[in-house]
Amino acid sequence: MISDEAYKELEEAVGVDNVSRHPAVLDSYAFQPFENHESMPWCPRPVAVALPSTTQEVSEVIKACNRHNLKHKAFSTGWGLWCGPTTDDVVQIDLRRMNRIVEIDEKNMFAVIEPYVCGAQLQAEAMKVGLNTHIIGAGPNCSPLASATSMHGVGHDSIYMSYSARNVLGLEWVMPTGEVTRLGAPGSGKGWFCGDGPGPSLRGTMRGYTGALGGMGVFTRVALKLYNWPGPPEIESTGTVVDVMSEVPDCLRIFGCFFPDKDRLADAYYDIGEAEIGYNCLKVATPAFMMILAPHLFKKLKGTENLRRLLGGTLGQMFLIILAGISREDLDHQVDVLKAIVDEHLGFVLDAKNIPTLGSNLAMNFIRATMPALVFRIGGSFSTALGRNDSLDTQLAWGEAIAEIKRGYAKKEMIIDDMGDNPYFVPYENNTWAHCEVVYPYDHRSEKHLAGSSAINMDFIINAIESCMEPMFGVVPSARKVLSPLTSNFNRWQRKLSEALDPDQTSDKGFYTDEAEFDFTNVPPERVERLQKLVEDLTWTELGPPE
Amino acid sequence: MQTKSTDPKVFRRAVGPENVSTEESELEHFRTAGLSSRGEPAAVVRPQGTAQLREVILLARETATNLVFTSSAPPRFRGDTVPAGEGIIVDLSGMDRILRIDRRNKVAYIEPGVTFNNLIERADEAGLKVLMPLLPRKSKSVLACFLEREPIIIPKYHWDMTDPLLCTEMVFGSGDLFRTGTAGSPGGIDRQLKAGLAHKNPLGPGATDFLRIVQGSQGTLAGVTWATIKLEAKPTVHKIYFACDDRLERLVAFTYRALRPRLGDEWLILGARSLATIIAESPGSIDELARRQAPWTLVYGVSGYRYYPEERLAVQENELARIAQAVGVRPVPEVPSCPAKKMEEILAGPSPYPYYKTVPRGAFADVAFLTTLDKAGAMVEVMSTACDAHGYPPSELGIYIQPIQQGRTAHVEFTVYYDPADEADRARACELVEAASWELDEAGAFFSRPYGSLSRIAFRNCPDSVEALRKVKQVMDPDNVLNRGKLCFGEEVV
Ligand SMILES: Cc1cc2nc3c(=O)[nH]c(=O)nc-3n(C[C@H](O)[C@H](O)[C@H](O)COP(=O)(O)OP(=O)(O)OC[C@H]3O[C@@H](n4cnc5c(N)ncnc54)[C@H](O)[C@@H]3O)c2cc1C
Repeated sequence: MISDEAYKELEEAVGVDNVSRHPAVLDSYAFQPFENHESMPWCPRPVAVALPSTTQEVSEVIKACNRHNLKHKAFSTGWGLWCGPTTDDVVQIDLRRMNRIVEIDEKNMFAVIEPYVCGAQLQAEAMKVGLNTHIIGAGPNCSPLASATSMHGVGHDSIYMSYSARNVLGLEWVMPTGEVTRLGAPGSGKGWFCGDGPGPSLRGTMRGYTGALGGMGVFTRVALKLYNWPGPPEIESTGTVVDVMSEVPDCLRIFGCFFPDKDRLADAYYDIGEAEIGYNCLKVATPAFMMILAPHLFKKLKGTENLRRLLGGTLGQMFLIILAGISREDLDHQVDVLKAIVDEHLGFVLDAKNIPTLGSNLAMNFIRATMPALVFRIGGSFSTALGRNDSLDTQLAWGEAIAEIKRGYAKKEMIIDDMGDNPYFVPYENNTWAHCEVVYPYDHRSEKHLAGSSAINMDFIINAIESCMEPMFGVVPSARKVLSPLTSNFNRWQRKLSEALDPDQTSDKGFYTDEAEFDFTNVPPERVERLQKLVEDLTWTELGPPE
Repeated sequence: MQTKSTDPKVFRRAVGPENVSTEESELEHFRTAGLSSRGEPAAVVRPQGTAQLREVILLARETATNLVFTSSAPPRFRGDTVPAGEGIIVDLSGMDRILRIDRRNKVAYIEPGVTFNNLIERADEAGLKVLMPLLPRKSKSVLACFLEREPIIIPKYHWDMTDPLLCTEMVFGSGDLFRTGTAGSPGGIDRQLKAGLAHKNPLGPGATDFLRIVQGSQGTLAGVTWATIKLEAKPTVHKIYFACDDRLERLVAFTYRALRPRLGDEWLILGARSLATIIAESPGSIDELARRQAPWTLVYGVSGYRYYPEERLAVQENELARIAQAVGVRPVPEVPSCPAKKMEEILAGPSPYPYYKTVPRGAFADVAFLTTLDKAGAMVEVMSTACDAHGYPPSELGIYIQPIQQGRTAHVEFTVYYDPADEADRARACELVEAASWELDEAGAFFSRPYGSLSRIAFRNCPDSVEALRKVKQVMDPDNVLNRGKLCFGEEVV
């Protein structure tokens, strides 16, 4: 509950039309099914929601919350449990009125944007001036600001456009105290071209591998790197996601590359990286395409052993790559190189040019990352096994290990059988490191699946620790509690910084520094023991980790 | 915190008596450097590993001693290793092992004392190349160089400001050990290597990036004991070109259009004096060489890799030729007294001893900052006006412009050369650098890594960042034992 007095101050901050405490409105924020492993997919209901339209208003909202001992939690495009409150005393700050592209600096290749600018919007504007923006694999509906400042940040285009956290060139930040600060060159009034300095970089307090997920104030503007786009200002398209057909620009070529085994695929990846080609590159399981595009057909066909073997086996080790050339000569060279590499590693390429409908369907779906959300279709929900990103080899090994775990659960019908390993594997920065997560669909209405989900997640965590990885879902308080002592006691330091910059702990810290006990209800005792043993063996002493 | 007089003997406990020196011949290197004011180093302490470094820091906390880290051997020029007042020098240059080179993942594991020459040799054997800054000192620590966000000369490999630094082990001013990036994942390094980690991910662990915080901190927050450094594949064919012009704008236009699609490898712009200083075989020839150069020279490299190298080279050459023609620039294979091959060799290694910038007059002072390329010309004008005002001939100014972050940002470096034995000349350089820095600041220069008195200028612009940085300092170095008084951590700033 929010007091009338506090509510009135919120009204004063943003105007009466832009604040609400109506239960129906609040419940629309509390309904957060994605990555919510409860049978009723709600998160705590916020006590009120405020919709500021300027940085100043954000600051006033936070100050009003602070005066009344209420916490605050930012919400940009709001896709997933993480943007919801984790306790009962939170004011949700919905940033949808802050939807401006403040500036596109064409020459210096960056844009300054507000939180509710979405990937598609920024991309459309950037393309008009021959530039492009990194779009995370969640899709173009998501806020590039949210992933760059506060969340993860991997996307199909990471081979060319990196990881969101590494694309930040400056930041405007309403601190948990309500004070406004800017980091890097904009903080000194010099323009939005560098996010670090003077001296030590406060960008390091903004986020690490993951963001603070709303646990450290509100970011109101960010300067993000843009990248070259050699294509036309607009791509002619008809239809929508599943049946979209686009004019494939002459500067693009799309290939599926198939390999006889994982090792050859890995070698090809490394070689492609050193050849410095590729604009968009993604390894997904072949059956995943059928699963997301034609779920009913998929359900019918998945018992077919030959199809399983063909898609999951023979065609299993593949990736899609888009080459973008700045000239005919450049593109031809890239194609020559790609074909030579695939040949050398005994693979074959499928040229989408030879299957025009496929090419014209995939082009925008990949450049704009529109397809992944279709993964919800088959079971209504999905989750994912995220290990720590590092070398390509580690990520491929992670994909295999998780696929093995998944098979066991699919056999017991504790998750939906998706007929393959279903990785989302993308290389970063010319294949110099990579990301791999393994997706599994489930039906959150099924008790069996919910039990399966919590057990399989424990297996993922154990596997991550055994593989010396910090699982990306270390943002969950129970996982953080287990992991921190094994990983530089990072949460101890995170907490200290959080207490230094947010002395009254007014941001919602649920996904940032809070810790909690695991619920082991659905986890077999031997797995609990295994986890405990790992923790015992790997806990840091003051001299570091046990070698 | 009260500053006590430092008793160096205390540190024998941590590192052994043989690793504590109070010899004046060693201390003198830390009394002054460049234009810095005098410090009072009381001893040089040489930890032999992480455990000893921790002990040193813990002892410093007990005894309220100021510690100043150094990883490079002399000569030193910036003054960041000269204590503000009294201090103990913690010399990590003896920790100089290259622990591992991983060819497949293109990464080197190095300790702080590893210099560019050592690393280049080992990388080369593996078919890899080190991402070089422009002519670092021979004795310069690779790790310290990148901890200082020194720019590299190949912009396309500079994805973000931390590059090419990846993962690190560090000891905070509190004495606590921390590992960053994937080195901070569960398990020790051997175990992580067995699991296949290559320590290529610089972020985290968790939701904080201590590497980013410590980078640029001039040893005020933590000491770094080893790091992984990103290497790249050695090209199979490589060529250097020059584009000479009397108008900087044209070279800037060329640079923008070339770097946007990541054409070219090495890419830097030099004023005539800097170019002459770099290529001169003897000090006496610099003036004459500078006169023979165009006012501005862009140096760029093109490469072919393992697959269709000649084809790639041709594509790059043709694209760049097209752009050059469009902006009115003419690429050539040599400039006076410097054919492409010679420049290729110069860019691939460190500076000849002691340092190329001391060759013209014996000493120098730099003014380095960040801006965008389109503003570089205006900055040059500001600096030239300042030179005029102080009686320093603008034609003798060193100018180096380095695109970083793939061309989104420009590192601009002005060098004022002076004779250290001539007090008036030194004083003039000092005044010029001070005055020009204020004027450049007014014109929009961002002093992202301020040394010495420049801190006053840099931090006055961002009082809220200073407040936040001081809180961070309090967390990581609660007793203020690391490089006291530097950056914004002294009394007088803001
Ligand atoms: C189908 C699907 C695929 C996905 N694939 C990917 C993928 O490929 N790559 C990837 O990185 N992620 C992926 N995700 C997860 C994705 O990171 C998140 O869903 C998404 O980034 C968060 O949604 P959002 O951008 O709408 O931001 P929000 O949900 O609004 O915010 C995300 C977090 O950041 C905080 N936050 C948001 N804005 C601010 C602000 N202005 N100031 C302070 N804190 C703020 C929020 O409180 C929340 O904790 C996927 C999700 C789905 C559903």
